Formats: sequence, structure tokens, C-alpha cells
Amino acid sequence: MKSDVSSQTNLTKTLEPLVEGREGYFNLVWRKFRKSRIAILGGIIVLILSIMAIFSDFFSPYDPVKLNMQYGYTPPHRIHFIDAGGKFHFRPFVYKWTRVLDENMFPHWVEDTSQRYEIRLFVRGWEYRFLGLFPATLHLYGVEEGGSIYLLGTDKFGRDIFGRCALAGRISLSMSFFGTIISVAVGSVLGVISGYYGGRFDELMQRFVEFVQSFPQLPLWMALAAVIPPTWDQMTVFVTMSVIFALLSWTLLAREVRGKVLALRETDFILAAREMGASDARIIFYHLYPNTLSHTIVVLTLTIPSIILAESFLSFLGIGIQEPLVSWGVMMREAQTIQTLGFNLWIISPVFFIFLAVLGFNFLGDGLRDAADPYTIV
Amino acid sequence: MSADQDIILEVKNLKKYFPISRGLFRRTAGHVKAVDGVNFFIREGEVLGLVGESGCGKTTVGRTILRLYDPTAGEIWYRKKDGELIEISRISQKEMKPLRREMRMIFQDPYSSLNPRLTVKDIIGEPLIIHGIARGKEVEERVEELMRAVGLDPAYMRRYPHEFSGGQRQRIGLARTLSLSPRLIVADEPVSALDVSIQAQVLNLLQELQERLGLTLLFIAHDLSVVEHVSDRIAVMYVGKLVEMAETGVLLRHPLHPYTEALISAVPPADPDVRLERIVLEGDVPSPANPPAGCVFHPRCRYAQDLCGREEPQLVEVETEHYASCHFAAELRLRGIGGVSE
Repeated sequence: MKSDVSSQTNLTKTLEPLVEGREGYFNLVWRKFRKSRIAILGGIIVLILSIMAIFSDFFSPYDPVKLNMQYGYTPPHRIHFIDAGGKFHFRPFVYKWTRVLDENMFPHWVEDTSQRYEIRLFVRGWEYRFLGLFPATLHLYGVEEGGSIYLLGTDKFGRDIFGRCALAGRISLSMSFFGTIISVAVGSVLGVISGYYGGRFDELMQRFVEFVQSFPQLPLWMALAAVIPPTWDQMTVFVTMSVIFALLSWTLLAREVRGKVLALRETDFILAAREMGASDARIIFYHLYPNTLSHTIVVLTLTIPSIILAESFLSFLGIGIQEPLVSWGVMMREAQTIQTLGFNLWIISPVFFIFLAVLGFNFLGDGLRDAADPYTIV
Repeated sequence: MSADQDIILEVKNLKKYFPISRGLFRRTAGHVKAVDGVNFFIREGEVLGLVGESGCGKTTVGRTILRLYDPTAGEIWYRKKDGELIEISRISQKEMKPLRREMRMIFQDPYSSLNPRLTVKDIIGEPLIIHGIARGKEVEERVEELMRAVGLDPAYMRRYPHEFSGGQRQRIGLARTLSLSPRLIVADEPVSALDVSIQAQVLNLLQELQERLGLTLLFIAHDLSVVEHVSDRIAVMYVGKLVEMAETGVLLRHPLHPYTEALISAVPPADPDVRLERIVLEGDVPSPANPPAGCVFHPRCRYAQDLCGREEPQLVEVETEHYASCHFAAELRLRGIGGVSE
């Protein structure tokens, strides 16, 4: 009398499902994200900065670590299309800067209009290792032999600031990214477990989170970073600094995720998972954790800029990252005296990069916040 | 009653109280007596409808039976597939796990009972994976079978829940429930969240599957007309207590408890020309945290006497296979569907 489920019922007529196309979580998020122009802009900015950082050698016409004392504190070259004689040239060009002493023996920079140096794209220049793999000499732009092009001027040692800014992006971006990953990993896991189990563990966790959040962030970072011995190698310093930044920022995500889990815990699909005999581990990592991803993504994109700023601040003060490692904050160290800044305003260019990075990630984060929960209509 | 070989599930004096925490130190100020001494049994292959208004404890009964809540007191006896009778109210979750293959639940809300991040295949196949029944390709084949059985095209198994309508989602849930070939299913208001026309579809599906697979069903609902359509016997709950239980036809034509009479009179008859006097209950449903003394229904009962406020009636077999908990069940002439019964 009992037959198996495999035989069909006479109710096989079904309604068409609603939408065509792939409907997984990330597809839905992308579709919603695409609609926000600000978010796309943020994404493009972040992408450009990242590409510049990764391929910084390609973007940099001069070796960013090689000293070049005779060209110290050269101002940024001006790009011309019309020469001193009024003639229009298709190819943009630059003039050489020459230093001239006026009647008071005060140095001025004057353009030497006798010789035009045309800007060329994809030129051969100094040798570097492409992604650390093989040697290469191709650069995005440059000028012919005898001339130079410093788009953002040079620093005290004659190093091209534009090239150094691109290079500095590596440390600034990767450290904030790395620190954020640690922060998010720790915060989200602790948040989910705390929210799921509740009870004493949750109470203890919450008190601990409040304890950590009560610390003044910047002074603590400074104190921890100042303790790093100068003898440590670059890699260790990098990792340690990332961990230090992660130490105080994980609590935000832990709280948010815990809140989301407290709400999710009571939903029917979690009850269904228990009803079918799922283990706690399965419920936590297979059911709850993916459903907190929306919060995690948003906090991730907003933690990155805060660490960029923190790292810049600490490096500016000389704590943490040291030469020969270069980050945007380290470059800012040269801009500390009024005289230097007064004569050589271009020294402050790294600020512009920091500003762009922070703005880009904030736009990205805003767009993601709106897109990250695509089920709200349902 | 427990010796009867046909009985697959028996619940004795089941209680589930939820503590109410008050104050700074979370002292227990009282209890919500969601289920307060419930007794019933279900025979294998039959459908027992459990009716009552919102808050009467019927959902809690269903969840407690499946040990999603731990009972405060009482016994739950289950007869396993091999014939062995075991008491499951106090066993550990680990011991409970193999039993979960035989006793499953259908959930009320099709919108929140499916994980929005998983595909239909993942949702339906999960019980198979948890219990190690199938892996990989086998899961896919089994999910295909199950989808066909509930009337869904297996081509849609890679879709996500939000792409389906409410009725279709409920079918997905049903397929998930059937995945381990259970014997006992607790259906917790399976059609309450659906539109009326879809309700009929899903109910018919449920009935057909129940008959074909010989399933035992505890059908929980608040709508008497829905329950009547599906059930062999009906049990009526009120504020945590079971007030009447009988075979469907008997209960509807010849109710013995005043609350049942009121429920029946609230069901509109199919004939629009017939005008029946509706019994409107005065007052509000009492809070399960503070139930009345004596009979839990007496403040709203039009037949109440002094005795009803003093002494709590027990659920007794007033007539053959017809239980009621009312002091005056034998004397009252209550009105059922066909009018006042003899």
C-alpha cells in the first residue's frame, strides 16, 4: 500500500518562476550595485589606485628609490601644447627647469624654453622586475634623453614624487587591506558564535567588546607601534602593524554580526535546520554566517579607509613604517616644516592620494550598503 | 491506550512553560503556560487536526513533540519503525537525531522557512546530506524525485527561493520534509500564509501524499474549515489545554464542549440563505501567563456554573472515542453543524 515518492502526482502543472537569469546572492548584489553611480565611481577610483600600486614601476618614469641629489626639490613640470613662440604642437611637451639666482642670491625656478621635450607614451627606461618575475624596461610615459618629467615634482633626494606615490600605494593599500581582513575574520566569527550561543559566553564577549572599545584608538596604536624594535625586518613590521590596526577595529563588526544573528536565530529556516538535525557548527557556518555577509561586506569597505588614515597618521609621526619602506604617510614626513612646505608645495601631493583612496572606499561602501541586502523586497 | 499497536504517537500530560524574566537580575517572575497538561494520541496513517486560536499553544505542542523545545513535564511516546516504543521527552539531542528521519515538520511561513542564500537543490537535499543518506549526484537524483512528487519541475532546482511564489515555496518546504521518507509529520499551519485558491491546491497535494505514502499527520491550524477537510480526528485546544477530541464528523455535528460549539458557529455555512445565530464569545482570551482558576474557559462560557470556577475539569471519554473536558459535557445539548444534536 505504501508506494515510494518517485511516482508522479497529477499536479505537475507548475507556474513559471518569476525572473530569468542567474539569481545567486552575488549576482543580485551586483545588479543593485550597478545602479548607483556614486558606487561605480568609487569602484573605479579604487581600481585605478590599486592598478597604479601593483604596477607602480610601469607608471613611474624614474626609479623611485634611486637618489638623484642634483634634482632635489624640482617643481612639477608644466605640460604645454603651445610653445614660447606661440606655435601649437600636437604632442604635449615640457621644458627643463633651471635654477636661477636673482639679485638677492635667492633661487628661482625658470623654464628653459630653448629645448622642447616631447612626452612619449610607452617608452623604454630604467629596468625593473615586472611583478617580481622578469626584468622589464617599459614605462607608461617619459621624455627623450636629456630631459626629465616630474609630474608632481621631486623630493629632497630628487626622487620623482609621482612615481613614489604610486609605489607608496602598495604599502598603504595592502596594509589596510590585510589589517581589515584580520579584523573582519575575527570580528565576524566571534560575532556569529556569540550571537548564536547567547548566555554567559555572549555576556562575557559583550563586556570584552565594550572594554576594547573604551580604549582611545590612536594613542594605543601609537604606543604599540612605538614598541616595535627597529631591528625587525620589513615583512615582520608590516604584519605586526596590520595586526595592531586590526586589534581595535574588529569590535564594530562583532557587534553588528551578533545583532544580525540574534534576529536570524528566530527565523523559520534556522528552526528548520535544527528540526532536520543539523549540528551547531553546520547551522553557524553554513546557514547563519553567509546570511551576515551583507554586514561584513559593508564594514569591510569602510574599515579599509580608516586604517589608511591611521597608518598615514602614524607614519607621519615616524612611528611604525620606516624608510626604506614607503607609504603615503611616510612621504608626508618630509612635509613637516613650514619652510620646506612654503618653498616646495608639491611635497604635499601624497595627501591627494590618501584623499582619493578614502573617498573611493567610502563611495564603494555606501553603494554596497544599499546593494548588500537584495532581499528586502521579498 | 499505549498498548494499542496502531498508535504511533502518544502524548501524556505534556507541559511546556516559558519563564518570564523581570528585573535587573532576570529573576523568574512567572511562567507562560503555553502547554498545560495535554493528552492525546495518533494512530499510524491517520490525520489528527489540532485546532485553536492564536496563542492557544498548538504550535508549541508541535515543536515540543519534535524536541525543538524541551518539555517542562510530561511524556512523549513514539513507536519507531521497527516497532519499538520509546519515550523521547528527555533523551539527548544526539539520541534524537536518528529519530528525526522519521518525524519531520512542515513550517508555516514559506517566506522565512527557506534559507534565501541556498538553491532549491541545496534546501531539499540538506537532510540527505546531514544524515549521510546520499552524496553528490545521488542527492540530485533524489531531489529530482521529490520535486516531481510535489508538483515542481526539477529543471528549477538551481533557482533560489525568491524566484518562486508562496505556494511553490511551500511545495519546496514539503519536498524537504519528505526527503527522508518520514512516517510522522507535524504540519504547523502549512497553508495559513497562502492565498485561498493556493491553499486548496497545497491541501489537496498534502492529502494525496498522505494517502499514497501512508503518512501520519498532526495537522495544526486555526481554521476549522481547513482542518475539517483534511483530518480523520480533531482535537481542540484553548489556552494551553485540550478541551475536546473526537472523530471529525462527530465533533462537528455533535460537539460536547462549549468552546467547540462557538468555533463551529463561526464557520460560515456554504448556503448563503441559511442564517444561523452566531455564538459570539464575550470577553478576551486569557493570557497563558495568568490562566483563570478552575475551567480555563469558564469566564467566557455561556453555560458556566459555580463549579466551573472552582474545579478544573479533566479530559474524559464522555462517549466512545469522544473526549471532552467540561463538567457538564454529558448534559449540555450543543449546536453542531447540522443544528442542535440529540
